[in-house]
Amino acid sequence: MGRDKMFAIFFLVILAAVAQGCTVKAVGDPNRPITINAHITLDIKGLEKTASSIEDYVSGAPAQGTVKTQGGK
Amino acid sequence: MKTPQLLLKFALIIIVLIMTSSIVGAVSYDIKEMTPEVKASLDARRARYEQLAVMKAQGKVGENNRGYLEALESGDGVRDVVDAENNDRKSIYKTIVGQNGLPADALATVEKVFAQVQRDKAASGDSLQDESGNWIKK
Repeated sequence: MGRDKMFAIFFLVILAAVAQGCTVKAVGDPNRPITINAHITLDIKGLEKTASSIEDYVSGAPAQGTVKTQGGK
Repeated sequence: MKTPQLLLKFALIIIVLIMTSSIVGAVSYDIKEMTPEVKASLDARRARYEQLAVMKAQGKVGENNRGYLEALESGDGVRDVVDAENNDRKSIYKTIVGQNGLPADALATVEKVFAQVQRDKAASGDSLQDESGNWIKK
């Protein structure tokens, strides 16, 4: 395997790591906010878990951990 | 030479781990902050739960396929209870959408998922609206 190929792989790993925790900062006029329309795919299983937890809480069934009953974040 | 192949395998494993953690880490939709509004809605729903269970058993109300309660009979304050319950549910659904940074049109999906969970958790004999809009008894 050539050295170029190894560098390409290394670059891909770094790129994936950066993409994992990347932060996007918008720079511009605060009086003209930028609107970004993104297509977000919902994870239905995650939603079902949340819904089930909330309905268990409402019915008095054992809590599943999603609903925090005390205030604060 | 074996070292480059080992490096390649190591790099591929790292990529797969990173991608997997990205996917797994994105699937939690919680009530992240218990605001007074959402707490009031949850508490009101808890307080109303037994009353609604009786009304469901009597066939006065049922769960529709949009995540809300529906009056199936009129009279004796049924409408008031249904409206109060649905207002609280909407508040909770909107909180999930808002606090998880979901787009506004995700509300319909959240409602449908709650409808499915309501169907799953319904007691035998409760009136339910299936996904095609037909009312059935569980």
